[in-house]
Amino acid sequence: MNMDSELLQIIGVTLRMSFFSTVISCLIGMPLGVLIGKSVFKGKRTIKKLTGTLMGLPPVVAGLIVYMLFTKYGPFGSFGLLFTVEVMVIAQCMLIIPVVINLTESMTEINAKKLIETAKGLNFSKLKTSLLLLSENKQSLLSVVLTAFGRSIAEVGAVSLVGGNIQWKTRVMTTAIMLETNKGNFSFALALGIILLLISFVVNILASALVREDEE
Amino acid sequence: MIKILNLKKQYGERTVLNIPELTVNKGETVVVVGPNGSGKSTLLRILAGILSKTDGEVLADGEIYYMPQQSIPFSKSVKENILFSAKDSKEIEKRCDDILSELSLSHLANKKAKKLSGGECQRLALGRIIINQCDFLLLDEPTSAMDIEGTEIIESVIKKYKQETGCGILMTTHSPKQAKNLADRVIMLHEGQIAEQGSPDELLSNPQTNWGKKFIDMWKIDT
Repeated sequence: MNMDSELLQIIGVTLRMSFFSTVISCLIGMPLGVLIGKSVFKGKRTIKKLTGTLMGLPPVVAGLIVYMLFTKYGPFGSFGLLFTVEVMVIAQCMLIIPVVINLTESMTEINAKKLIETAKGLNFSKLKTSLLLLSENKQSLLSVVLTAFGRSIAEVGAVSLVGGNIQWKTRVMTTAIMLETNKGNFSFALALGIILLLISFVVNILASALVREDEE
Repeated sequence: MIKILNLKKQYGERTVLNIPELTVNKGETVVVVGPNGSGKSTLLRILAGILSKTDGEVLADGEIYYMPQQSIPFSKSVKENILFSAKDSKEIEKRCDDILSELSLSHLANKKAKKLSGGECQRLALGRIIINQCDFLLLDEPTSAMDIEGTEIIESVIKKYKQETGCGILMTTHSPKQAKNLADRVIMLHEGQIAEQGSPDELLSNPQTNWGKKFIDMWKIDT
């Protein structure tokens, strides 16, 4: 095995983990954010404070909780997921879902009120109104997705705790950078950092192209 | 008809609407007038189901459509906005083209609705409503901030639609001319209560209460 194939494998694991944690977090967080944003109910402020607090959850704390849940004697130990990419995705979702809920909720509260009033006046069904809300807020939602992806790809504390930074298995770009830095291999760590930045750049370019196409 | 009984809306201790009884019949246009904060929009928003009422009953024997003061155009073309709002797809293209022509929007049919001017947006908002067969129309200041030509277009479309469908209309306005032009009955709201009601000629020329007289005088000066 040479360095190039290991690097490709690390990039592959990083992308797989970031993709799934972003998709899962958005699938769970966006509907919840829209629901909280457009509804008026008792306890809404408390929920908003809670998601706001969880946005600042330290990654190592999230990692520790997931570690304790999936360790051999933990409640989910029988799944045997510790030190796998799957458990890394779970830890990341724990960090990203509150961010997605909070951002989507704020966006909905700002943009949705008048749109919902318009839709209600036209006697749209709840489903048609929800789909309209999503399509009318495509650009803002895309920003939420990019924020989620950014948080996922740059995260190191939780994934190193639950993934173990195992070569050829759970090593991702950020944990590899940490390892190479600790070994004193600064030039390689820096190269990895540049690749990580490039991945983020490409994802952002693709997303901007999508938005531009929509505007036209 | 729409029948309102003992309708109340309160925010804490403050009562913003208190209407013991009000009826809007099919085929009738009722225009609600009054100063800002008198409860005009609150009344319409409760009837449309946007706002909850504190107390009372609202009965309606038909489908109610509502055009808010600030109706948001969807991120589609003008024509797509109207088609998207239609419930019934029967002869929809033809109906849509007719409506665009009535509202003088045919030349803008393929333009992005978000790029329309304020007046064009209001005409589009009416178009999205009247593509449907409504039993009752609630219009919240449909010509606010609109020029004379746009106002005339909206008023003639409202009249034609009522004639064709026999729907009942409850609308608010700040224009005495519009009230005279469209209303079968005018209701004057003051601090959430009906201060006066009657035919436009009756009410505008001979208000019965001191407050009504003051309001009509101010209204005449303003316009």
